[in-house]
Amino acid sequence: MTADGEKIEERRSPEKPCEIPAGWKANIIAFACHYCAFAAADLAGVMRLSYSPNSKVIRLPCTGKLDHIYVLRAFERGIDGVFVAG
Amino acid sequence: MLVAGAGIGGMQAALDLAGSGFMVHLLNDEPSIGGTMSRLDKTFPTGDCAMCMISPRMVESSRHPNVRMHTLARAVKVTGQEGDFTVTVAEKARYVDADRCTGCGACEAECPARVANVFNQGLDKRKAIYALFPQAVPNTRAIDAEHCLFLTRGVCRKCEKVCDANAVNFEDTDKEYELQVGSIILTPGLKTYDPAIRQELGYGRLKNVVTSLQFERLLSASGPFGGVVTRPSDGGHPKRLAWVQCVGSRNAHNANPWCSSVCCMYAAKQSIIAREHDPEVEATVFYMELRAFGKDFDKYIDKAKFGSGVKYRRAMISEIIEDPVTKNLRIHSVDEEGRLVNEEFDMVILSIGFEPRPDAAEFAKIFGIETDQYGFARTSKLAPVATSRPGIYVAGTYQGPKDIPETVIQGSGSAAQAMALLGESRGSEIEEVVLPEERDITGEEPRVGVIVCHCGVNIAGTVDVQKVAEAASHQPGVTHAETIIYACAPDGQQKIRDLIKEKGLNRVVVASCTPRTHAPLFQDTIREVGLNRFLFELADIREQCSWCHMNDKEKATAKAIEIVNMNVAKTRLLDPVTSNSVGVTHAALVVGGGIAGMTASLSLAGQGYGVHLVERDTVLGGLLNKVRRNLEGDDVQAYLDDVRNKIEQEARITVHLGATVAATEGFVGNFKTSLTDGTAIEHGAVLLTSGGAEYVPTEYGYGTSPNVMTQRELESWLAAGDPKASDRFVMIQCVGSREEPANYCSRICCQDALKNSIAIKERQPRARVVVLYRDLRAYGLKEDYYRKARDLGVLFFLYVPERKPEIIADGSGFKVRVDGKVLGGEMEIDADYLILSTGLRPREDAQQLSQTYKVTRNGDGYFMEAHVKLRPVDFPSEGLFLAGLAHAPKNLEETISQSLAAAGRAGTLLSRDNLTVSGIIAKHNRDICMSCLACFRACPFGSPFIDADGRVSHNEVKCTGCGICAGICPAKAFQVNCFRDDQILAMIDSVTGND
Repeated sequence: MTADGEKIEERRSPEKPCEIPAGWKANIIAFACHYCAFAAADLAGVMRLSYSPNSKVIRLPCTGKLDHIYVLRAFERGIDGVFVAG
Repeated sequence: MLVAGAGIGGMQAALDLAGSGFMVHLLNDEPSIGGTMSRLDKTFPTGDCAMCMISPRMVESSRHPNVRMHTLARAVKVTGQEGDFTVTVAEKARYVDADRCTGCGACEAECPARVANVFNQGLDKRKAIYALFPQAVPNTRAIDAEHCLFLTRGVCRKCEKVCDANAVNFEDTDKEYELQVGSIILTPGLKTYDPAIRQELGYGRLKNVVTSLQFERLLSASGPFGGVVTRPSDGGHPKRLAWVQCVGSRNAHNANPWCSSVCCMYAAKQSIIAREHDPEVEATVFYMELRAFGKDFDKYIDKAKFGSGVKYRRAMISEIIEDPVTKNLRIHSVDEEGRLVNEEFDMVILSIGFEPRPDAAEFAKIFGIETDQYGFARTSKLAPVATSRPGIYVAGTYQGPKDIPETVIQGSGSAAQAMALLGESRGSEIEEVVLPEERDITGEEPRVGVIVCHCGVNIAGTVDVQKVAEAASHQPGVTHAETIIYACAPDGQQKIRDLIKEKGLNRVVVASCTPRTHAPLFQDTIREVGLNRFLFELADIREQCSWCHMNDKEKATAKAIEIVNMNVAKTRLLDPVTSNSVGVTHAALVVGGGIAGMTASLSLAGQGYGVHLVERDTVLGGLLNKVRRNLEGDDVQAYLDDVRNKIEQEARITVHLGATVAATEGFVGNFKTSLTDGTAIEHGAVLLTSGGAEYVPTEYGYGTSPNVMTQRELESWLAAGDPKASDRFVMIQCVGSREEPANYCSRICCQDALKNSIAIKERQPRARVVVLYRDLRAYGLKEDYYRKARDLGVLFFLYVPERKPEIIADGSGFKVRVDGKVLGGEMEIDADYLILSTGLRPREDAQQLSQTYKVTRNGDGYFMEAHVKLRPVDFPSEGLFLAGLAHAPKNLEETISQSLAAAGRAGTLLSRDNLTVSGIIAKHNRDICMSCLACFRACPFGSPFIDADGRVSHNEVKCTGCGICAGICPAKAFQVNCFRDDQILAMIDSVTGND
């Protein structure tokens, strides 16, 4: 999403990283396995570890369930990063 | 049933028993279950995270309807007998009401009393009100009465004031009550050796000397330093690490005479992991003998040596000296060339061993069982989980030092014994819950209710829950949204039930804590008012939001809104899931009639199930037919005859001799197998106990002279007559093992050599016995026999694989040339008899069996279990189990334990009348499937199959819902219930949807 994320309009070259505006933070979707990475995200909370709030976890029964459509759809709709953990 | 001790072995026994319909009381004297394994960071030889493995087991133990957990509790009196015991339990006051406590930990922050944290091995402090560890089960704090200011001095009560859930109860008292049980399983676990006794090693005196268990906590991400290995003296990052092995083990002076069985492997693991944490770490392990005797263990040592550059030095350490300025540690050692080496380290880890708990003697007295001279529960090697008192069984380290899989095996094995004992009372104490009929929501528009939990201040203190509920209420399909102080409390659940009825809700989202522990609770709640359990989602805004973003309330609220909204988006698309069930044929097929197959068959028959025992040979007994005695001296042939007789007399067992499996089809609970003799068998479970093969050596002139024998042949030779006083024996270890093409330890050959050399020396003390070995792997209590052999005058000389012993024929005898480093040069030993300690190999027909049953084998050709630590007798495919040499080399005692375990696991399955298919499974749409076979190849469980039409169909009974098929299917013919593509995409769209 984020308005910030979408403002980067110029065509990106895969070789040349574009300039990152000040204050911009990557918006990230994490696809996490129910049994391990999702549990790890819970543990981070139990231990009160702090990380950037710009990341949201989508729970999967196993990272084997991940479909390339999910990743493409997320990028297509302006997400900055996809994190697959399991 | 009573299980005393809730470590990994106790949980395994409890879950097996509960799963087969017995009510189990699970006792643990700590405030949380989990035992020693919960203290470990990772496990060998796979490097898996210990907590990630044990945590689901702990949650399952706490949620199983047939398991009653009693924490802070121990048995104080046991009366009665087998089938009818009365156990008096003393339960300490917890001072926290488990039904009210939400596990938020607000009390802990307020508590002023700081106490050494025993769980973290004293490396940090905890409070007087505490959870044993972050993932504790039950997830409830407890007050340590010894250190609580109010309970000791009558002042404070801060925890009580801060607890919004009113869970702190200082009126709580110690309780004593009685339990009636038919059988008891003892799994009290272990104590680690206190290395302070060995002052020369400096533990407790030198800051940078830590124990191996402390090092586990230092490595652990949930440990005292968050997984950053930290030097106690200055908080620095140690680069030069040394492990000192056998601290407290293999030493009768101020320590324990036995080998603790696990330290060699965990030191390798810790050194590998330490390098993973910090690539600059240089690890050195000082050891006496590398006892990597388990499946794939030698490969793991190689990984440490060659992959992580760990230096292994065979040397005994006499002292550790501290540099007074740097606090670095100096170790002097003598290397294998005899030179004095002086090295400096930043930190030294003492590999401490196991011993029985300090209360082991009292424990044995309470349960009325015998112990051995060391305080371990006494069992026969031929009945390894039965104590001296009928009806009481034992599993794990209380029976002798062992690692996790062997503990799990004994847990399942003792459960099998108890099931056989009490088979008739199965299901007698289980209450059935009557639920209202499910409401049919077909055709209804989504009416989603959103309940946002404050969790006291845990969520509401950081996240503006009103705002979250308000935002949710504007989402399409949401009928109602509100906040609630504690959603999980009884009144909160009643509120949810009322709302469903009042507002006509047909789907529910609760925004609170993690679905991993709390979703089943809320699913039960909505089911109680007639909503399908799967019309529910739990949005995790505590662990994954409020607890992580306390410093930025605005952003935390925004994230909570996103989390809730994406779950709402998914919930709109949820459909009811109905679970099918299939019947179970209450019989097992056991493939292989060696001691493993026979033991498993007798156990299954004892539990009340029909057994078909298939043996390729014309007699039962397998390799054991050639063994006369075990290391401990039991008469193996008498035992084998007894087992064969029992098989013959057991009406429930049908033996098929001279037959093998020709073809098999079906799935868990419903297999059909035809044998080569034409017999057709219907059965619900399969046990592969197909055995192993003895290696026939080609080395050292075997076959050229009758005086070159294997250990097995020597045993027969000794049975035929006594050795002469002038006889000279040279035994060579690792013949055909631990080198290509069989580069693994065969585990039994060291025991064979000890057994036969002791037999020679006892009968003819003047005969000379020399054992040439690489590492003498007399693990566990077998160390006693290594010592006995040395005391009897058996000579042990080391050889290295680069310089194997050379044999020169010398008349009727031999000269054996060996590089004798200890004595400083080459030695020549005269021998009349050359004894080759040959190992075990997989059977040639294992390949065919693996194809028939679609089970995999490891690189050495042994069958692979579902999980090396926690599922040691299960195959990944449900309904298939394994035991014995087909799994890996092992001795008789271990084979018997494993066979009982396989029978126990199979019995848990066969006890059911129906198998209910889990709700979260892949659904296959045959209409759009192109039968490309991508799923067929990718599924680890063998659920997709080619049906009678030659097209792909899907067996839902085998499916675990992992969704690999759904991910890989090009036609999207597979969709996983509650994780359908449209549902996941709706979540993605929701979270990316502000445009």
